[in-house]
Amino acid sequence: MPLKWVLHWQPNAGTTVNSQIINEVTQVVESINGIKEGRWKATITFYKPLLRAGFGGEYPRDFLGIALPEQPNKYYLIIRPLRIVLEADSTITMIMEKLQSYKQRVSLNFEGFQYQLGDFQLRVGKVLPNQSENLRGIVMEVEYLPISSMEKARQIMEEFMTIWDQAVLKRALPGHFVHMEPNFGEFGLGDQYTSQHTAVQYAAVMAQLIATVQGRN
Amino acid sequence: MECVVQGIIETQHVEALEILLQGLCGVRREPLKVHEICLKSGPNLGAVPSEVRLICNLEQTEPTWTVRFVGGAMRGAGAEQLSVLVRTVIESKASKNVLRLFYALGYKLDHELLRVGFAFHFQRGTQMTVTVSSVNKMPQLHNTDEAVPVTPGIQLVEVTAPASSETYTEVASAVSSFCEYLAPLLHLSKPGISTGVVPTAAAAAASLMSDGGGTTL
Repeated sequence: MPLKWVLHWQPNAGTTVNSQIINEVTQVVESINGIKEGRWKATITFYKPLLRAGFGGEYPRDFLGIALPEQPNKYYLIIRPLRIVLEADSTITMIMEKLQSYKQRVSLNFEGFQYQLGDFQLRVGKVLPNQSENLRGIVMEVEYLPISSMEKARQIMEEFMTIWDQAVLKRALPGHFVHMEPNFGEFGLGDQYTSQHTAVQYAAVMAQLIATVQGRN
Repeated sequence: MECVVQGIIETQHVEALEILLQGLCGVRREPLKVHEICLKSGPNLGAVPSEVRLICNLEQTEPTWTVRFVGGAMRGAGAEQLSVLVRTVIESKASKNVLRLFYALGYKLDHELLRVGFAFHFQRGTQMTVTVSSVNKMPQLHNTDEAVPVTPGIQLVEVTAPASSETYTEVASAVSSFCEYLAPLLHLSKPGISTGVVPTAAAAAASLMSDGGGTTL
């Protein structure tokens, strides 16, 4: 499958994300001839252990469940500190519910519009807590359709990002998109791109968003 | 949800059962070799203690994994009157690191089994599966090559059919009718209610073997 980079918006020091930035970013996409195609939505859910005696040092503090639009019948479970990513059918969410060992806590939706730009597909999205309009972050997926190898596509992805940065620079926005590539090898993933790579990138973006919020408080 | 009945048969009569099933189902048998790992939740984990099965299909070139949750049997006067057990079953295919994930979540190995035999998948009033397998235990952890039968000379027969809360009475009735055809060779009942081998098995098997299943029992 085509590879993609998932980037997150890093606000400049002293600034926060707001919906005006989304509007500006959308205008940047349109200024470089991106054609609007439709809506997309991914969801990350935090699962936390349910402990009978309130003590459980040996269990992970939480794990992430991720639903991606590119694989609507699949679901991804990630224990990030242990570098485990599991791909399962969506029915795994029903199994987790029946087991009653971990409970769904917070869910965050990543949603917005998709754009076609030659061989690239861009998805810009707001990060919103479930059933809330309280903007927590902005993400952008950059997908390069002709190539599946992460390494082979690296140069063209970097070139695209250079063009993108120049387009953004003109608008003097209070921040920029950051690409932090996780070490996929640690998760047992290879150079050929899969949806598990996407899930791992979303988990990394999630960690960055939390770090940004905590850094501000 | 599924409807299920189980029974046992002596290994010496399995060939006769296969001939009978072949005639009844009108489809070819499929080989069956699955490694089943039963996990239980660790101390204090979960609102209630829980159990989950990881099933590795060893028949395929690349083994595939399924997470299987089996819920409690349906209760009530209606369920009591049925000759089959109706229970919740949820399955999800998963990537091969699923055992590592469940260990990381705090699940512990309870026991593991290797089932070797064959299965028939067919339509007869409803979608049904019959499995005939020897159940083996492993003296060494995960070592399926050195598995030994739990009950030498005896094989487990299981008839299952997917159902829903709307259809289970019809499905149960279709399963019961099908079981009647097998009655001369083995008795099928709700799991946990062992009825042993049937006295007519040897004669029925001899009859089937002599004419290849052409005689109506």
